[in-house]
Parts: sequence; C-alpha cells; structure tokens
Amino acid sequence: MNASLNTWSDALSELYLFGLPIGLVIIAAVPLVFIALYALTYGVYGERKISAFMQDRLGPMEVGKWGILQTLADILKLLQKEDIVNKSADKFLFVIGPGVLFVGSFLAFAVLPFGPAFIGADLNVGLFYAIGIVALEVVGILAAGWGSNNKWALYGAIRSVAQIVSYEIPAAIAILCGAMMAGTLSMQQFNLLQQGEYGFIHFFLFQNPIAWLPFIIYFIASLAETNRAPFDIPEAESELVAGYFTEYTGMKFAVIFLAEYGSMFMVSAIISIVFLGGWNSPLPNIGPLALNDWTTGPVWGAFWIVMKGFFFIFIQMWLRWTLPRLRVDQLMHLCWKVLTPFAFVAFVLIAVWEIYVK
Amino acid sequence: MSEYFRDIGSGITTILTGMGITLRHFFNAVKRKGDAGIDEDNYFSQVDGLVTLQYPREAIPTPEIGRYRLYNDIDDCIGCNQCARACPIDCIAIETIKVTKDDLAVCGKTSGGQQKRFWVPVFDIDVAQCMTCGICSAVCPTECLYHTQVSDFSEFSRDNLIYHFGNLTKLEAESKRKKLEEEKKSAPAPKPKPKPKPAPEAGSDKDSM
Amino acid sequence: MQELEKAEYSSVRVTPKGEDRVIIEKDLSSEEMILNMGPQHPSTHGVLRLECKTDGEVVIEAEPYLGYLHRCFEKHAEMVDYPGVVPFVDRMDYLASMNNDFAFCIAVEKLLDIEIPRRVEFIRVIVSELNRIASHLVAIGTYAIDLGAFTPFLFCFRDREHILNLLEWTSGARMLYNYILIGGVAYDLPQGFKKRTLEFVKYFRPKALELQKLLTENEIFVKRTKGIGMMPAEVAINYGWSGPMLRGSGVDWDLRKEDAYSIYPELDFKVCVPDGKSSDIGDSLSRHLVRAMEMEQSLDIVEQCLEMMPEEEGFDPKAAIPKRIRPKAGEVYGRAENPRGELGFYIQSDGKSTKPLRCKARSSCFVNLSAMKELSLGQLIPDLVAIIGSIDIVLGEVDR
Repeated sequence: MNASLNTWSDALSELYLFGLPIGLVIIAAVPLVFIALYALTYGVYGERKISAFMQDRLGPMEVGKWGILQTLADILKLLQKEDIVNKSADKFLFVIGPGVLFVGSFLAFAVLPFGPAFIGADLNVGLFYAIGIVALEVVGILAAGWGSNNKWALYGAIRSVAQIVSYEIPAAIAILCGAMMAGTLSMQQFNLLQQGEYGFIHFFLFQNPIAWLPFIIYFIASLAETNRAPFDIPEAESELVAGYFTEYTGMKFAVIFLAEYGSMFMVSAIISIVFLGGWNSPLPNIGPLALNDWTTGPVWGAFWIVMKGFFFIFIQMWLRWTLPRLRVDQLMHLCWKVLTPFAFVAFVLIAVWEIYVK
Repeated sequence: MSEYFRDIGSGITTILTGMGITLRHFFNAVKRKGDAGIDEDNYFSQVDGLVTLQYPREAIPTPEIGRYRLYNDIDDCIGCNQCARACPIDCIAIETIKVTKDDLAVCGKTSGGQQKRFWVPVFDIDVAQCMTCGICSAVCPTECLYHTQVSDFSEFSRDNLIYHFGNLTKLEAESKRKKLEEEKKSAPAPKPKPKPKPAPEAGSDKDSM
Repeated sequence: MQELEKAEYSSVRVTPKGEDRVIIEKDLSSEEMILNMGPQHPSTHGVLRLECKTDGEVVIEAEPYLGYLHRCFEKHAEMVDYPGVVPFVDRMDYLASMNNDFAFCIAVEKLLDIEIPRRVEFIRVIVSELNRIASHLVAIGTYAIDLGAFTPFLFCFRDREHILNLLEWTSGARMLYNYILIGGVAYDLPQGFKKRTLEFVKYFRPKALELQKLLTENEIFVKRTKGIGMMPAEVAINYGWSGPMLRGSGVDWDLRKEDAYSIYPELDFKVCVPDGKSSDIGDSLSRHLVRAMEMEQSLDIVEQCLEMMPEEEGFDPKAAIPKRIRPKAGEVYGRAENPRGELGFYIQSDGKSTKPLRCKARSSCFVNLSAMKELSLGQLIPDLVAIIGSIDIVLGEVDR
C-alpha cells in the first residue's frame, strides 16, 4: 500500500519537459501556491472575520461579497506603497530581514506531507528538520530589528529571539514525545503509523493516556514560536508600536505578515501530523459504513491535513482575541518553570508507557 | 509550591472562561442588531449579536433634538446680531442694512408676525468652526437659527463649509445701502445710526427672495 | 566618580528582594538608552510624551512631557462670557463632558449664589452618572487594549454607544454636550427617558459581569496588574491624587460624600474602596477594580435618582437661569467628582464684567499624572504601559 500511495508523486517526479524536472518543481510549488492562497484568503481575511465576529463586529464588508476580496485589495495597496528604507538603517540587514524570515518559515513546508502523494522531501529526519529550520526565523527577525535602527524594533527583535529560542526547548521535548511513540522522525512515516480503519482511534493523541500533555505543551509553545497572542510580545502593539517591523512599509511588511501566517500553518500542520494523524481521515469504519475508506486518498489527504491545520489556526486566533498579553518575565517564567518541567514529566511518563505498558 | 499549582489552575480556568465568552459571541454572530433609534421602544430588545451598522447605507437615526448642522431660516431672521455676539468662537458673521420706510412691506414680517427692520445681506456661518454648542440658537429671539439633524455634511473644499444665508445679493445690498443713505439725506434724521455704515441711496426695490 | 555614579544608579532600582541584583549589576558595565515614548505611541492615550531612561527593558526614569494638546482653556475662559465657557469646559475631559460641565456650573452657581430647582439637580446627577459609566468604560477598555486584550475594548465601546445614544437623546450631542448650563440644564429629559434608562441598567448589568469574567478575573490580566505601580496612601495624598486613583490606594475619599453637593447626600451609596482580597491595595489592579465598582455604583445611583426624581408637567429646566450672568466681585473654588478625580474651577470675578477675570482649572488627570516619575521607577516597559493605562489620563484635560 505504501508504494501505491506515492504513485502520484513518483509519476510527477519522473515528468521531464525539455529535459527539465518540471514534475519536481510542481511538487515543490504545491505548498508554495497553497501558502500564498491560504495566507491571502483564510489567513488574513479569516483572522479579520473571526476577530470581528468575536467582538460583535462585521469585519470587512465592502470589497466583494462579505468583503471577500479585501485581502486582495490590501495587497494591491501594499504593492503601490513606497518601499521606504530609512536613512540610518543598515540597508543590507534591513532588506534581507523579511526575506530570511519568509524563507525560514517556508523551508519547513518542504517536509510537510500534504496527503499521501504530496510531500516535498520525505527526509528521514523530517521532524527534526522542521523544528530546526524554524530557528532560521530568529535570524530574520534579528536582522530586521537591528537593521531598522529603531529602538522599538530593537526591543522587539531582542524579545523575539529570547522568546523563540527559549520556547524551542519545551516544544522540542513535546515533539520528542510524539517521536518516541512513532519511533521515527520521518513525517510521512508518522502519518502511515497513524493510519487505520478506526480513524481517530489510531491517532497518537488517543494511543497514549499521557499524550494530551505534550500535545498541549507543544501547542502553547508553538504559539510563542510564531509570536501569536498571548505571546505576541515581540510585536506588542501597545508597548513596542509594532515591534521588529516598525519601520517596514509596503511589500516588505506584507512579506513579514505572510511569513507569520505561513509559520502559523506550519506549526498547526506539525501538531496535527505528530498527534492527530496528519492526512489520515478521523472517521472510523462503522460496519458497512466504511467512512474511513471512503475518505482516504490523495485528495482527501490534502483535505484532512488542511482542515486540521485550519482548526488549530482557528484556535490560535480564538486565543489571540480573548487573552491579554503576557509580560516578558512572565513569558520566561511560563517557559522555563512551567512548560519545560511538565514537558520532561510527560517525556518520562510516555517513555515508561511505551516501554513497559504497551 | 501550592501557589504554583493554584496559579496554573486558575490560569487554565479563567482562560477557558474567557474563551467560552468569545466563542459564544462568535456563534452569536449570525444575528445582527437593527437600526432602531434610542427613542423607539424596541431599542434595547434588538442589541444582541453584531452591532456594526454599515454607515452610509445604515445609520442610527439622529434624535429630534440632535444638534448638528447649523441652519438659519433667513425669512425669519431680524438681523439682531445676538447670535454672533453669543457665539464663543465667532463663527457667525452678520452684516445688516436698515430697511427704508418704503421697503418695510417688501422686507416683510417673520412667521411670528414681527416686522423685520434689517436687511441681512451677509449671514455667514463657518460650520467648519462651529462646535455645535447651541448657545446661538438659545439666544435667537425668533428661533430662526437652529441646529438640524443632518450630521454628515463633509465637503472636499473648506470654502464650501462656509454657509451663506444672506437674503440679498451684493448688488442688491449696494442698492439698498444707497437707498438708505438717500432716505437719511432727505429726512432730517430722527434716527442717526442703523447697524452698519450707512451710504447714499438710489432706488431699486428687489425683494428678498 | 564612576564608581559613585554606578552605585547611585544601581540603588535606584529598589526591588523588594533586590539585594543580589544590585551587586551583580555593579560589575556589569551597561549603557542607558533614552527612549521616547510618544507623543505618537499607541498606549500613551493621546499625545503624552514620556522620556524614559532605560536599561534593557527596565525603566530607570520616566519623565512626562506635556503640552501637545494645549488649547489655552484658561485664557479662552477669560475671553468669553460665563455661558460661553461651558462648551470649552466640555472639551477638557472629552470623555466625561457632563461631569466637567457639572463642576464648572457648581463653581459659577456658588459665585452667583442661586437656587437650583430640585428636578434639575436630579437630571444633572443622572446624566453625569451615566457619563461616568461611559468614561469608565473607555478607561477599562483602553486599559485592556494596553495589556493586549482587544476584545474587551470593543465590548466596552459597544456598551458605551448606548449611553452616548441616551445622552444624545437628552442633550442633542453625542460627546460634547453643553447640556448642564449655569442655573439649569438645556432641555428637560425626553419622554420615555426613565423607561429606556432602566432598560439600559437592566441590559448593562450582565454585560458588566461578562466584562469582569473576560478581563478582570483573567489570570494573565491579574498577573499583569497586581502589584504593579504600587502607590501607598500617604504618598498618593501628598501628590494630591483624587478620584479612583486615590481610592485605589485605599483612601476613603469621594467628593460626592465629602462635599455632598447637589442631591448626593440623599442618595444611598458607599465609597468604592478595594477590599484588598483580589488586589494589593494601591496597585494598578486596585485602580481598575475601583473603576469597575464605580460603574456598578453609578448604575445604582441612576436607578435611585430615576426613582426619586420629582415628575413635573411642563417643567422648564431653564427657569432658574439668570438673564445676565454677572457675578458680584469675588472668587470661588467649586469642585466636583469627575470620573478621573477632583475637577475644580477657581473663578475670579471683578463684578463688572460678564466674563471671568480669571478661571483656573484644577485638572485631576494632570495631578494624577504628576506621580508618573515615582510610579515608573524601576519598572519594565510593559509595566510602564500598564501604569499609564491605570492612571487613565485624558490629555485634553491634562493640557487643557
């Protein structure tokens, strides 16, 4: 079965046009197109609408039906804006910052399996790569913050670096719990291991009585890693004006935003792959109703992982529009004194479960 | 240590409470508040759900008493100048010309039946300056100066925000002035001074619209 | 010399358990950074500018600079006659215009020594208490937004809208009312005002509870505000604090009780002082709690007033307004409880003119803000934002 799953991608990767590996390019381009579309439609528009509904507002309503083209209009506006590089900025760092940030958030998409057939690179250390490559974002943020030569931007950058680096520890330990349950670091393998006719029962979250703990810890840590509220202190608009992108205008600003929404989806995809079965259908086969079989396949796979990702993004937005922001020291307190010890506890308990009980 | 766990516990419960509230609002978003005014009986029975009104198409009605754009009903204005004096920011500019005896009938009466004794060639209100305090309308003896319910009167040019209410054109004003002057010359001046500067006269009787 | 300087500056940061910290930081050579916060900063509530000396995220010193919204109120007041001052008074604390008018009219009426009809007093108290709720809603909402919670802010504004509608219905304007005039009010209450206001009270109570659950009880909010910006009662009194700020420090002081002006002595209400259970007395959370409590209290007062208000057919609210306001020579200081504290007007009259010879406004925000330097000592930047928010300044009143 494993082989048959990849027939689509195999066929694509062997597709050569004029001697060029067009098929490979298409496989790589699928997530790229997806992220752009998603960031345009669901990301920004969805965030605006969700926040509006939670706050008894209507949100964007003017451009298109229910304002559905609002983001497009915004992008057009941003494209027309003057691209200002302020005089005292470090030009090289200032320009390169958003690029690195965007690439950093985007590189992890290479190992995300969008269904049984779509995966950029099925690395045997895919999960490790996905956590590791996020650290590249830090470089972009620091470059942007330092290059702006603005005090607020510098504060934002420093806060962000401290935050992302710290939160990688509980996040990584929580993810390791998942890796322990799977016994592999390959992203595609994770999905295959959580396949089964009973649907969600096979997901790691329900395979282990303690799995909810690393699941929650990773979710909280991922909020901090993507600078989302209540951990949005690097861009805390009421404290630091706009944090590390205070000085950015036009498309550079848009790129930073795109990167934020990109990494939001990325962490949501990782959490759903590690704990919630990735592209596997959550529906079980009930007797003659073979719901699981009906909802499995390359297209269904893409559907499920995107839906799961969107679900977590919805929770991220939901949290953002509910909670106040933490303070810097409270953030660190939460990371080092709450999440990290609990992550270790979860790690040990899951290890014990995997070795002795299962 | 117990405080540590209590903090975590209360953190989780209060966050969940908050999330419950926002989620309730999220699901309540299928309903929308209507645009009933505060003076309507159903005002408070229609406020659950989304409250935004899409302004140019929907708006809360301004109450009857609403003090917005200043308007002068020049037909009733007797040119007493009280409003201009009362205005704390001097946004009303008035010029008056005393009505000559033969013109009194032409000038007419206010709706209250009071004989108007002044032409008002200039009655300019700079609504860009006006702070809608309502002091001018309070002192107006004929109640011809009042704030209307029109709250949106934006303009592209600032000059358009100076409203001219005068009841004479420049030419007419000039002729009335001359007429007054003439009258004063002919009659051996029982009354020395009308409000603005008097000038020699020459007849022409256009009436005030 | 260098040693001395360093020692001085490390001793500035007085933290409760700061002994080790001071010693450690003596060895580190670090540079201070001057950080200009405002006048275009999202959380300085207008055009306040704070010049902060920072060491990392720690604010060593914050000096407020004012005057960006200075509109010469006091000079203006000398140029226009007494009724003409009222609209300018409106524009001082634009979030609580009714209360401003009330304070100014109290001062002038004291100078004129005139009797106010009883119904007018009730109307005045009702509208100013409604405006107090509106003002506190803005204070609480913007405080939430300072701390990063956006949703409570919009909930507050949604409810404030109803109060503005009520007041517009009464006075004709939404924010700058010019409703309370010297010797009376501009219009009588509209038909059905009592019913609608009682409906509002009924509508608002559950919303206030929801706000409390969403914001005040939230653990993150509590952690952000509890113990931040501590102000002991004696220091607060010495700074001349008043209003919710002073009550937040645990001082039982409310001009509505102390001065017992208007019909407040007939009403049944208690001065809101935090009990110290959920907050440390004198911190930002206490001040926030006082505001939240005062909203409830104002609702009670409005209810009581509507109950007690004498109904008069064909009542003329302008009956007691003097034809020509020309007070006898003399001076007066009239004050009232503004949502932000004691708002007082000192007026001098020469007895000849219809214009005040001198009009000095004692602005509550200005006085409250003067303690900023002391409050900001050794706080983090996010705490500084929390402290500014808890002072609840309206720059229109600070600069006048």
